[in-house]
Amino acid sequence: MKTLDELKQFYDTTLRADLQILEQQRRDIVRKVTIVIVVALVLGGFVFLLMMQNMGRMGPIVIFPVIVSLIIGGGICTLLSRGYVTDFKSLVIEKIVRLIDENLNYNPKGYIPKSTFMLSKIFTTKPNIYKGDDFVSGKIGATQIQFSELNAVYESGSGKNRHRTTVFRGIFFIGDFNKHFIGETIVLPDTAEKLFGRLGQKLQSLNVFRGELVKLEDPEFESHFVVYGSDQVEARYILSTSLMERITEFKKKTGKKIYLSFIGSMVFVAVSYSRNLFEPKLFTTLLDFEPIKQYYQDLQLIIGIVDDLNLNTRIWSKE
Amino acid sequence: MYIALGIVIGIFFIVVLIYNSLIGKKNRVKNVFGTIDVLLKKRYDLIPQLVATVKGYMRHERSLLQEITEARARAASGRLSDDEQVMLDNTVSKALNGIMVAVENYPDLKADKSFMHLQRTMTEVEEQISAARRAYNAAVEAFNNAVEMFPTNIIASMMNYKTKKFFEISDDQRQNVDAGDIFGR
Repeated sequence: MKTLDELKQFYDTTLRADLQILEQQRRDIVRKVTIVIVVALVLGGFVFLLMMQNMGRMGPIVIFPVIVSLIIGGGICTLLSRGYVTDFKSLVIEKIVRLIDENLNYNPKGYIPKSTFMLSKIFTTKPNIYKGDDFVSGKIGATQIQFSELNAVYESGSGKNRHRTTVFRGIFFIGDFNKHFIGETIVLPDTAEKLFGRLGQKLQSLNVFRGELVKLEDPEFESHFVVYGSDQVEARYILSTSLMERITEFKKKTGKKIYLSFIGSMVFVAVSYSRNLFEPKLFTTLLDFEPIKQYYQDLQLIIGIVDDLNLNTRIWSKE
Repeated sequence: MYIALGIVIGIFFIVVLIYNSLIGKKNRVKNVFGTIDVLLKKRYDLIPQLVATVKGYMRHERSLLQEITEARARAASGRLSDDEQVMLDNTVSKALNGIMVAVENYPDLKADKSFMHLQRTMTEVEEQISAARRAYNAAVEAFNNAVEMFPTNIIASMMNYKTKKFFEISDDQRQNVDAGDIFGR
């Protein structure tokens, strides 16, 4: 991991020149966007007044033109900034990814496919709206990894009855696990036990959608997570005492909801985020060091899973 | 009349449920114990290969190799009581530990391809054994809780179920289980 000074130096030597070009681009866009908004408001307002005068009071419908012009304006703004976002990602985010590890590749528009997402068995609801970006893949030491940002939503009903539930939003990580196993082990954030104690544990063991409940010895780990598995012994072989500690540490470090599963020689890690990551800001300057630091820390946190979960230790028969 | 009948049927169902869950817990303990046995056997199976690989290199540890070969032969003969079995497993653990430490003195052996592979397999088996022991303890805990807690304890005492012992790890075994440290990860 790089120190803050190293990152600062990297920012000064490698990123600054690109950022200056992007900053120019950003200012142009902000200017255009401002014009679009003003025009939209003026036009909308004009139509609004016209309708008011001609038709008298017609209730909420007169707001309509204002809303329409704002939507059109918003669409134009997105179109205007699209190129800027792409440029930003390939110039800045890619360089930060490479700074963390040279062997990593970055694809701003790629993402983990839905089939893989479902394969992890972490989430049982199948999303019907599935989007993602910022795909990173490559090899850290002996461990093949890939991850991307994902936004998976399940939408039911239509019209007024439309209901949206977020299945998962955040970063989804896949790594090659260092031990051989054949079954399935799933580690989920513990909600029932935290709320209901022993009764909660009873409820967990009745969960029919999952495998058998695996009760582990580490009380701190157990207070954060609940484990289901197809094989009691194998679940413990995977979740060694040291790995339980490492997962607990990782959970504390991120302060986020963490989901893990061990299936088909892979480890899947889902870290839920409520914000959109690795996106440039439009209305604040790019030349600030703080956001760069944030991008770096977000990336480092995920790529650091390899070290945090000790995936590069290859003392078992799997090489 | 009907109420009394209802209560009797209700109690009967509860008793059946408790009875079945106790049997389930007992069998879980047995099942996991079987797994430990399988894994220990897997470890015994590795011994001839290990001895064959290291024999050519190790000149000063003849007695250690002798000891471990004999232990394996005794284990293979069957006809051992549980206590004898545990003793034998401990002897093997200790001897294996000794061999792994002695390996440090033979750089050629450490670099040997087939030995390296064997070493990894050994680590794997050791960790699986420790996982199975943990699973065994978890199964015993669930069983003991049922035997001692109300109301399952009533049925358990009728079935003559007694609490089972946990797997305790002796000090020299404790070092052995953490095989990764020996191999200097």
